[in-house]
Amino acid sequence: MTRSIQSPLWRRLPSLWWEVLTLSWRCTPGLTVLALVVLALSVVAVPGVALTLRATVDATAAGTAGVALAAAVGVAVAHALTSTFQTVTGEVLTTVADRTGRMGVHPRVHRAIASVPGIAHLERGDVLDRVDIVRRGTGQIGRSVWNVLLSASHVLKLLVTVVLLGAVHPLLLSLIPLAAVPLWTHRRGQALVRRAEVEGAENHRLQQDLFETVAGVTGGGETRVSGADARLDGLRQKAWLETERVRFRARARAAAWTFAGWLVFVAAFAGGIALVIVQASQGTGTVGDLVLTVMLAVSLGQTVRGTVTATAETAGARRVVEPYLWLRDHVAGELAREGTAEEPPRSLAEGLALDRVSFTYPGTDRPALDGLSARLPAGAVVAVVGEFGSGKTTLVKLLLGLYRPDSGAVRVEGRDLAGVSTERWRARCSAAFQDFGRFELSFGETVGIGDLDRMHEPGAVAQAVREADAEQIVDGLPDGAGTQLGRRLGGIELSEGQWQRAALARASMRRDPLLFVLDEPTASLDAPSEESIFRRYMERARTHARGTGTVTVVVSHRFSTVAGADLVLVMERGRIVESGTHAELMAIGGRYAGLYGIQERAYTADP
Amino acid sequence: MGPTHGTGTLRTLARILARLRDAGAVPAVALVAVRLMERLVTPVTAVALAALVGTLSGAGDTGTVTAALLPLGFLALVMLAGHLGDAAAEPLEYLVSSRIDGAHRDRVARMVREPSELGTLEAPQTQALIRQVRADPEHGVETTPGDGTTAAVRVAAGLAGVAVTCAVLASFAWWLVPIVLVPALVTVVLRYRLAVAGAATWVSAIGGEQHVDVWRRANVSAAEGKDIRVFGLRDWMVDRMQSRLGESNAPLWRHVEHRLRVEWLMFVLVLVGLVPAYLLVTLGSLEGAATVATQTAVLAAGATLFQLLGNGWDLYQLAGAGRDLRATDRLASEIESAGSAPAQRVAAPGAAVGEVRFEGVGFRYPGSERMVLEGVDLTVRPGELLAVVGLNGAGKSTLIKLLCGLYRPTHGRITVDGTDLAAVDPGQWRALLSVIFQDFDRYPLSVRENVVLGRGPDGRGSGAEGLGRTGPDEVGDADLEHVARTSGLADIVAGLPAGWDTPLSRGRTGGVDLSGGQWQQVALARALYGVRAGARFLVADEPTAHLDVRTEFRLFERLADQRAERDGRDGAGIVLISHRLSTVRRADRIVLLDGGRITEEGTHPELMALRGTYADLFETQAARFRNDNRATEADRGDTA
Repeated sequence: MTRSIQSPLWRRLPSLWWEVLTLSWRCTPGLTVLALVVLALSVVAVPGVALTLRATVDATAAGTAGVALAAAVGVAVAHALTSTFQTVTGEVLTTVADRTGRMGVHPRVHRAIASVPGIAHLERGDVLDRVDIVRRGTGQIGRSVWNVLLSASHVLKLLVTVVLLGAVHPLLLSLIPLAAVPLWTHRRGQALVRRAEVEGAENHRLQQDLFETVAGVTGGGETRVSGADARLDGLRQKAWLETERVRFRARARAAAWTFAGWLVFVAAFAGGIALVIVQASQGTGTVGDLVLTVMLAVSLGQTVRGTVTATAETAGARRVVEPYLWLRDHVAGELAREGTAEEPPRSLAEGLALDRVSFTYPGTDRPALDGLSARLPAGAVVAVVGEFGSGKTTLVKLLLGLYRPDSGAVRVEGRDLAGVSTERWRARCSAAFQDFGRFELSFGETVGIGDLDRMHEPGAVAQAVREADAEQIVDGLPDGAGTQLGRRLGGIELSEGQWQRAALARASMRRDPLLFVLDEPTASLDAPSEESIFRRYMERARTHARGTGTVTVVVSHRFSTVAGADLVLVMERGRIVESGTHAELMAIGGRYAGLYGIQERAYTADP
Repeated sequence: MGPTHGTGTLRTLARILARLRDAGAVPAVALVAVRLMERLVTPVTAVALAALVGTLSGAGDTGTVTAALLPLGFLALVMLAGHLGDAAAEPLEYLVSSRIDGAHRDRVARMVREPSELGTLEAPQTQALIRQVRADPEHGVETTPGDGTTAAVRVAAGLAGVAVTCAVLASFAWWLVPIVLVPALVTVVLRYRLAVAGAATWVSAIGGEQHVDVWRRANVSAAEGKDIRVFGLRDWMVDRMQSRLGESNAPLWRHVEHRLRVEWLMFVLVLVGLVPAYLLVTLGSLEGAATVATQTAVLAAGATLFQLLGNGWDLYQLAGAGRDLRATDRLASEIESAGSAPAQRVAAPGAAVGEVRFEGVGFRYPGSERMVLEGVDLTVRPGELLAVVGLNGAGKSTLIKLLCGLYRPTHGRITVDGTDLAAVDPGQWRALLSVIFQDFDRYPLSVRENVVLGRGPDGRGSGAEGLGRTGPDEVGDADLEHVARTSGLADIVAGLPAGWDTPLSRGRTGGVDLSGGQWQQVALARALYGVRAGARFLVADEPTAHLDVRTEFRLFERLADQRAERDGRDGAGIVLISHRLSTVRRADRIVLLDGGRITEEGTHPELMALRGTYADLFETQAARFRNDNRATEADRGDTA
């Protein structure tokens, strides 16, 4: 997946942060400025309470009433500022990050995922995992730059605190390395917690999925009938407890680390205060210095915690940022491979061809297509038959540019498809897949997206619905084509067969495709529907053929439905073992005739 | 939150705190103790500091250092206690919160498992309630009952801290207490109101987010991903997501902006409380009415009142927990009101069940006008293979759901050996059924679990003596192997990395994804497992739609075998729904469902002789083969 040597992550981060900050500015300029201002001011405000308190105490002791009273007001203002900054920083950073994530990063990520021309990244588990992390992590990416800035502001606060301590007594500067102790132990503990988050994630997801089933979001009928619902619920509970165990253990250990760090620091600090006390008693220091020292120590705890949280989140964002950068490289690489993006032909005269095409799914060793060659003449209805795993679906995915051949070429009018713009080639294709998409939109939209240009054209959707023999479905819906689909969204749940027809209707939206693919288009349909849909699509294929020379490819394991094709390709283990018309293949008496015979006898022989 | 919420709020608060019971005694007590310690530290630090200041400013030069040792040690201890409290609160809060959420989810799961029918459960308002109370936050601002309870502990411990602070203030003068406390209380009320209003805006945001979720999932799904690419949906999809997102989150974001704007009011309120108090104390100290120690204590502690009374987030979570509680109550009553089960349930007939009859059964889905079934009369017999055929949407799947008691007929009745199914205990009745639904469940569990979940732990079903003894974790491997061989699953299992223990989900360690056809074989094995455990009826809704010809044939034979007597028991009755008439024709009896009614019934030859709709359907499928009668006898394959 990786090509070209990339610079290490840390060198690419600043530009990403800058990019997110720019996005933030574009999404919500006012709040972005506010966030920056608040972050800067909170650094200045942090020693305010301690300093004013010292002034009050010292002035009171000295009896200078004016200064003491003014300083007392200063203490009140400093308190008010500290608490306001604290609240506002939290609120404003959260909302800025949320808005940047949702309105800035979210569209970029989804556009990037959809920009990869192929679908291998959605089918390969390890790659999909990365894609999935990115799509769930848009908020975290939006937050990344803010965590960095927050870290910076916390570190500055630490510095300010320490410098002030040094001003009281230079020896107190030795607290700087000691402040690093709790910082280090806290970080160490947080690393344990993060590891446990990952470790517990699998069981957490499992209990989520099982809860959905138990709660009837994605089922609930089946276990109710089998009586296994209690057992399923028990497994859900077990997964929950397992997650809890792992995550609690890590947190308990982290707490021990953190506390150990503070133990060291507080011991040292008590020594520091003793120093200040000695100084005060010798008259070189004031009681106010003592007050200042203690107040700074108190605020130090909070600053260290804040620093650790913010830097840990910054480091943790790596989990999302890395795959995000990978995704962007991947998209860029894929688009670069497009090279000279030629226009597809306006119409087909010659047709499509597969020229010694081999394709192996990444991560497997058996080729799905093995040096396959075939001609799909313009205007022809080509049936691809074969048993499970013979490579039928892989073949049509290659034709649609959803995979790229490892070797060999797919040719359109003799030109290598690799040189043709995938996007524009697809604009001239249409397809209904075996595992069709179930888009929970309105029924009309789920069909209409088959041709976005004509989606709102009056009658276009209705015609596609008619062609897929789906009018009855629309008539049965409460709001007709406007009915929302999907129970989750307060809509109607379609049956398997109804979804299939919706997918067929969607595939019928485009008027003049060069390639029309029907992949097991009627698996869930009844006999008359299957029959009428096949008849209709054969007619449609002939009409298209006359106009643009459309090649129609029908994938099926139901032989009865493909007998009328102009050309039948019989596939076995990634190769074409027989090809010809139905009559020719029956005459050979080979694989096709054999399989056809089995199905035929089911209808003709005595049961 | 209505205007008359005084006692209501208190009662809700009590219920939220009562959930600590779910956490177990030790963690609950430990959390409360740790929180108290941590919240008391802020005012106590002020006291310790004051003591130290007092020693220093009171005594002369000599002996000060030794005199200061005690208060210094005290201060160090207080600081340590604060850090201990902070550190220990994290894991304890996690544990308590997780246990409360776990118990809450258990209760919700039990609640939704309760109704034996699906009607209420599937209703959009019920699903919305479940989503609200499931304690599984997706959105950054969603809260759970556990969050609510831990927030309540924080607030309660904060009140103890408030008491200490008030004592510090009173050490100067009692009237100092109201001067600071009243503005602090006003900020709390304001923040609480804001939290409640904020919670309402995210509820409205979720609606839009759900529509966006459709595309979020689609964009990373291989199935939808193909359509997105072929139909060039990318830009359209992204625009649509973004406009939905913007629209639905706008109220939430506007609310946050509002909250930021009123923050200056909070700022002013802090000043209103602190400025007069601090001035008065300093004046008192200047005039000698108070010591510098008291002054230091008041100045250091006064502001903590504003922190200890609870910040916006604690109150937000409290408000969220209150809302969840009410939603849980509503869900409970919704489910309870639907469960109009008859007072007396009759035991289902035992293993020797005779016939199941549909008598004039009519049905329409709740909220729908259309009758899916109308006047259906049908008998299902043990030891018989009954095929139900019909066009898409003829009501076949609904028929099965009625048979399973997942819905109740709106007209007519279903009887088991003459007893109305509505009066039969659903658990006992279902123990006699084993069903493959068209959209069967795909559990992200091991293959073993996926099969074993075909039958619940027994002792509830009278018909399940075979495997009844096997507890959940001692599944007879012989039974598993048997159903695997019968369903053709054995070959698939043999190819899995960890055999029977391989999880069927890529998201799990060592897990794999199966194809549609392979899943169908898993479902089949699951149903056969149910039959082996004693189910008397095997119901299969399109069990072979995704299988190839050879596999389909083999499986049909094996399904059909289930009706044979075995081990001295009667064979199972089989109800098969299929579009594949080549398969269906071998059934003992075939019924045709057309427009919600049964219009034809008989054996294949009888129905063919009738020349009705069935014959038409069959001819349609067979015709293509008839066109070409030179079928060879070559390659019979393994379709014996």
